[in-house]
Amino acid sequence: MQDVAVEDVALHRRLVGGDREAFDELYRRYSGIAYGLARRLTADASLAQDVVHDAYLALWRAPEAYDPDRGAFRTFLLALVHHRAVDVIRREERMRARTEKVANLEPSASEDVAEAVTDESFLVVRRQQVRVALGGLSPDQRQVLEMAYFGGKTQVQIADELQIPLGTVKTRTFAALRKLRAALEETE
Amino acid sequence: MSTDHDHIQELLAGHALRALSGEDAAEAARALDEHVPACEDCRRTLAAFDETAADLALATPPVAPPDLLLARLHRDMAPRRAARSWHPGRVMAVAASVVLVVGVTGLALTRGGGPGSAQLAAADLNAAIAAAEAPDAETRTVGETTEVTVPDGFYLYGEDVPAPPPGQVYRLWLWSDGEPYYVGEFLPDDGTVAVRVLVDGEFDDVVVTVEDATTEPAAPGAPAWQSPAPTAA
Repeated sequence: MQDVAVEDVALHRRLVGGDREAFDELYRRYSGIAYGLARRLTADASLAQDVVHDAYLALWRAPEAYDPDRGAFRTFLLALVHHRAVDVIRREERMRARTEKVANLEPSASEDVAEAVTDESFLVVRRQQVRVALGGLSPDQRQVLEMAYFGGKTQVQIADELQIPLGTVKTRTFAALRKLRAALEETE
Repeated sequence: MSTDHDHIQELLAGHALRALSGEDAAEAARALDEHVPACEDCRRTLAAFDETAADLALATPPVAPPDLLLARLHRDMAPRRAARSWHPGRVMAVAASVVLVVGVTGLALTRGGGPGSAQLAAADLNAAIAAAEAPDAETRTVGETTEVTVPDGFYLYGEDVPAPPPGQVYRLWLWSDGEPYYVGEFLPDDGTVAVRVLVDGEFDDVVVTVEDATTEPAAPGAPAWQSPAPTAA
């Protein structure tokens, strides 16, 4: 993982210099994750393509937005994709019907298997670690994480839907992220 | 850890998931500006939460995007054209120009019964100029650009518009009844801006800000350009 992160930074440095091959390599590495995430959030292939397109184009046009001192490139890119996807679904009222489709963290039965791609080897391990770590959360903690991250809901909306105090949502979210982080750190 | 830190780090968790709204979002923004940069503990927590949130993406299987997506990106990454100059007296000699628009999202203005909706799109410079030269054209200046009213909204166009600093974009907001409504973002193409804003509803003023391209347009930053001063929110 560490080597990959270093390679990513080197690719990013080339990207700042306008290197298209570096762009293509970063696209090859992460577009599958990015598109899978965007499809999960938007439940709409067209919107998901727009999200990934816009995120990568923003990266190409303003690569300086990523600061290697502030974290891994993958973290930056996936946050960019996630943020744009959340923005899209919050603006697309018609996407509200997708709620049921994002209700769990397991692969959806309706996932188009034919389009599934094989992970880069370094991501296979991390993906498994994330799944194990998620399994260590309480159902309540998983629920708020799912609704926020994959449902694009605000904490106020989550409190409203679950009929629980906003403070409880905040506390569960904080505890969930801390626990997840601790579990993942143990694997690093 | 103090109670303040507990509270701030609770906000940072919601921030990492993009799940904050209203006063919580504003409070987190203040903490990110004022407290976090000077607090090593909170900086570490923010980085850890951001990384963990990104790892959550791995809980979803990767899906190969259509091949056309990379082709579309390559097309939109085309090198910029050579710089041109435009003179009002030679409008018809000017080649069609389309601004490069980043992240046009087709936003909704309808916020809690807001005034309507609006969309931002790249436009043809000649079409904007032609609209401005019509006998009954309604135009006004918006900073480095000219706004021209058309039946379904307006054009915003300008030449020699400076590019925003690296990593930043121009964001266009409409002001209505003292409230800002985000429309979309854009970058000049060789100094040229030509966008068309389709508006369904009423608004008072146009405000363009320069903002970090990676942040959510939750509230307008300091105006870079604006039409007659917007009503205070």
